[in-house]
Amino acid sequence: MTLRPATAALIFFFAATVAFFCLTAPRFATATNAENLMSGFSFAAILAMGEAFPILARGIDLSIGAIVGVVGMVVFDLTQILHLPGYVILPAALVTGAVAGVINGVLIVRLRLSPFIATLATLAAFRGFVYAISGRQLVPGLTTTPITDPWITGLETYFDLGGALGLTNFIAMPWFPLSFFLMLALFAIFQTLALATRFGRDLYSVGGNAEAARLAGVNVNRTVVAAYAIAGFSAAVAALIMVARFTTSTEALGTGAELTAIAAAVIGGVSFSGGIGSMFGPALGAFLLGAVLLGLTLMGVPQFVQQIITGLILLAAVGYDRLMALARQRRLASNLAEAA
Amino acid sequence: MTQAPLISGRSLTKVYGHLIALRDANLAVMPGEARGLVGSNGAGKSTLIKILTGATAPTRGAVEVAGEAAPLGDPKEMIRRGVACIYQHANLAPAMSVMDNLFLGRQPRQRFGLLDRARQRREALDLLERHGVDLDLDAAVGALPTVQQKEVEILKALALDARVILMDEPTAWLAASEVAKLHATIRTLKAGGVGVVYISHVLDEIFALCDTLTIMRDGCVVAENTVAAIDRPTVVHLMVGEKLARESDEAARQKRRARGSGEVRLRASNLAKRGVFKDVSFDLYAGEIFCITGLIGSKRTELVRTLFGSESFDSGSLEVDGRPAAFSSPSRAIARGIGFVPEDRRREGLMLEMTVTENLAMAMLDRFRQGFMLRRGRMVEAGRKAISSLSIQPPDGTKPVNLLSGGNQQKVLVGKWLNRAPRILILDEPTVGVDVGAKAEIYAILRRERDRGAAVLVVSSDLEEVMTLADRIGVMVAGRLVAVHDAEAVQMDEIVREIGMETA
Amino acid sequence: MSAGGLATPAHFRGWIAGNALLIAILAIVIVFSVAQPAFVSPDNLIGIVRQVALFGIMATCSTFVIMTGGVDLSVGPVLAIAGLVSYYSLGAGLPLVLVIVSGLSVGVLVGLVNGGLVAFLELPPIIVTLAMLGVVRGSALILGGPEQHLIRDQPQYTFIGAGNVFGLPVPILIFGATALVMMFVQRRTPLGLLVAAIGDNERAAYLSGHRTRATKTLVYAISGFGAALAGIVQSSQVHTALATYGPFGTELDVIAAIVVGGTSIMGGNGSVARTLLGVFFLGVVNDGMNILNVPIDIQLMAKGAIIVIALGLAARGT
Repeated sequence: MTLRPATAALIFFFAATVAFFCLTAPRFATATNAENLMSGFSFAAILAMGEAFPILARGIDLSIGAIVGVVGMVVFDLTQILHLPGYVILPAALVTGAVAGVINGVLIVRLRLSPFIATLATLAAFRGFVYAISGRQLVPGLTTTPITDPWITGLETYFDLGGALGLTNFIAMPWFPLSFFLMLALFAIFQTLALATRFGRDLYSVGGNAEAARLAGVNVNRTVVAAYAIAGFSAAVAALIMVARFTTSTEALGTGAELTAIAAAVIGGVSFSGGIGSMFGPALGAFLLGAVLLGLTLMGVPQFVQQIITGLILLAAVGYDRLMALARQRRLASNLAEAA
Repeated sequence: MTQAPLISGRSLTKVYGHLIALRDANLAVMPGEARGLVGSNGAGKSTLIKILTGATAPTRGAVEVAGEAAPLGDPKEMIRRGVACIYQHANLAPAMSVMDNLFLGRQPRQRFGLLDRARQRREALDLLERHGVDLDLDAAVGALPTVQQKEVEILKALALDARVILMDEPTAWLAASEVAKLHATIRTLKAGGVGVVYISHVLDEIFALCDTLTIMRDGCVVAENTVAAIDRPTVVHLMVGEKLARESDEAARQKRRARGSGEVRLRASNLAKRGVFKDVSFDLYAGEIFCITGLIGSKRTELVRTLFGSESFDSGSLEVDGRPAAFSSPSRAIARGIGFVPEDRRREGLMLEMTVTENLAMAMLDRFRQGFMLRRGRMVEAGRKAISSLSIQPPDGTKPVNLLSGGNQQKVLVGKWLNRAPRILILDEPTVGVDVGAKAEIYAILRRERDRGAAVLVVSSDLEEVMTLADRIGVMVAGRLVAVHDAEAVQMDEIVREIGMETA
Repeated sequence: MSAGGLATPAHFRGWIAGNALLIAILAIVIVFSVAQPAFVSPDNLIGIVRQVALFGIMATCSTFVIMTGGVDLSVGPVLAIAGLVSYYSLGAGLPLVLVIVSGLSVGVLVGLVNGGLVAFLELPPIIVTLAMLGVVRGSALILGGPEQHLIRDQPQYTFIGAGNVFGLPVPILIFGATALVMMFVQRRTPLGLLVAAIGDNERAAYLSGHRTRATKTLVYAISGFGAALAGIVQSSQVHTALATYGPFGTELDVIAAIVVGGTSIMGGNGSVARTLLGVFFLGVVNDGMNILNVPIDIQLMAKGAIIVIALGLAARGT
């Protein structure tokens, strides 16, 4: 499969960034740092991939961070208050995320609200819901009680692949967090969904030209709702990972996560005009941002500057995307010149 | 035993708000029949087609496929029942490949629900070969030239192996050889029992290809007949109605004023834009109407855009009123007295949610400015005058422009420029989607402008319009201006011949 | 074909739909004042206006951006950095006028950058202003660090936030003045018409000879100005400049007020006056819920529900 120039550029930038920091940042090229990158940003990659689906459908999901909060609090309540077993909670969490996504989709499709407004509203409503069901408020003592359910805490496991494969004899290897493998699994599933199923083709066609899709018999409404449901589902997975990590959940879980998810998706080449992009870009985009943030931290660059740099990276990414679009137009014009 | 028609629409009515697009229309197609559907712009042909394909649901009426009642407004159902359509306007996903577009919504699947890419490619290649088309299956459709995009659309419909194929202006973008290919395909389909509904402005095609004919006017079916039993003048009369046919005949007999007052307002010398057009030279005189005609795709729109400054040319020179001009933006062209009515009034001409008055004033806000303020009173007054002099219906300046009919919308668009009394007025396809009455009014408006002393340049693909309106006629083929004639000195056949010239 | 459509019930319904927001505000005021009479006390009412003053300034100034079909997510950090810049200017001993000018200039500058990127490079506004949100917030933190900076012994500056003129708090007067100016610009100047035209059909506006790119840049500058003005007023009100003022959520609340007011997020016809209604509506609802001690969870869900209902109704109405 041929690489889109945008994807090739992204890979190049990722490699260049890693190389840059390996040279300039102390302790960047260490196993510990690689571990930090994976454990710290796998959830961001998952959110970015989930966010890609609504954007591919020419929409946007501003509430994905709030859905993370909802699922986190649901998990918290189910285990700390209702003491349900983990193997019940995990599926319940995934369903909750998907349902929240469906709500978004239905608002957009039935009430004809613009995705920006609909998910802006659910951003508020879902966050309010988090407060409403907050077990921490109901039973204040629980704020300091860690979650102990093995199904949940088991998500925060690290695998010494290096040791198992005998590689640690040669080189220091990071321990791979389960969240990284979850991310890889989701990547495989989502990428297959997007590129190798009829649903995926429908999604791209709805994003590219919804009317053409409708006239060809595609069920546009169902496709759109599904896209938002998938975003909600990934938010649920991300929430599980974070709850496992912190062994608790707070009302503020996921606040601001949608911005990182959108930024990573855009850096990953998913276009706002719809119908362009895949899962690889958002995932790599999230890790690119992660590498930059970790590298800057190791270099001692203050947090505040990191924010600025993240913003500039986003501008550069979208500017590059625009340049590519212009180049495409110019290429089309010269194609026509040859044909004339 | 009488056969059931492949598809039949009965008493179809469609109302959009106040606009009756279709009134009690009936249409039926038998197996192996090619039925032509003709009518002026706005007669309701596209609406009728959209109802038959499920793209839109009628306000009243029913559709039957092969004798069975069909659900309304459900494209998927109609496709399933064997109804395919080649729509008039771009119906492809631009970022997706040709192959993906051909199989939109119905990609073949393997066991686990995954796409069967191999089978898809085989079927696609087979399709290309069967119809003698050469396309790169993996190219992004948006990057293809319009002609090839149209081929993809046609193939997409043919690939459905439908029992009825509806075609809305299928040859609008095709060159003569491709038109011939399409007609051959249609004949093959007919022989196989497929029914075809063929909408076209080009009566020649209808008479050459179709067995029967339905004529529409103002949203109603006014006549149905076999092609053999009717002749061209009758068809035109039925399409246009008695009164307007007479007016149009009169108009056609008007005196022509090639080169107007003799004063050259605009001179183009060897204008060229790489890959678009070249060697374009002509003079435009005050007091004349100069029509440039040609096939769609001959780059006339691109040419006039460079005259107006919304695009730039690469080489050659332009003179306005004797002084050199190379406009980098429309505001500069406007400052030199040029007005431009673009081709797509919805996309490039009007602010649809804003009022008639506001749209009329849009090109001359500075005339209503006093210091910081906008003198709305003056704006409303100027609007009132324009509405009255252009007979805009309804005569209400506060109405949002998207509630007006196509013809009245176009009048607003033209009126926007008239208020400035431009020295040069350029119009690109000024009567597309305009009903016959408004068309005549617009022609009268343009003649008034010409008589006032303006230089009028009209780009038009409608030969009848060109013959009616022009004082001089230019013909553009594939980006070159190949001929310029005085209208009185040339016959329509010669123009048709020149237009159909293929590039060497 | 219909017989005129001026039958009284339809006309009445149309009038209700057009003034729905005003009616809703009145209805809510009545409901709340029945539940809690203190709601309609002059103190509380003035308190409401004072609370919404900051939002009102930002929302009225950002309305044009929404009308052009864009969005400005960077207003929160701009608010913060304007306050900081004013603080440092005060500290440098500059006269009051220059202090204010410096604060406002920062907002205008950020707005020009936003507008330039959106208008001239044609980058999507949501991403550009999102990125600038990060850049400006980071810059604010660099400038002022995470600490609070107390503004002491600056009676002139403090007057902006805490003073009274003819019995009305100065912030309310500033809000009123800003609203009046923006309403005037929107209704009575060519710019107001042009902004709606660009939002409706930018290409057509360009082909009509208007300098659409300059206009688009200008509206973002105005939005930045509004955020900076709000920042100055706020820092004066609370005697503090803090780099984390205008936290995440501020920009979304501003957009919500504009959108609930009736301006479409897709751009086109809009109205500063209706933004005012939106601001007051949300302000009344907020204050009412606070007075009734409605817990924050319900408040947030109510906010979401309100946006959905308001826009769902608007969509139905067309």
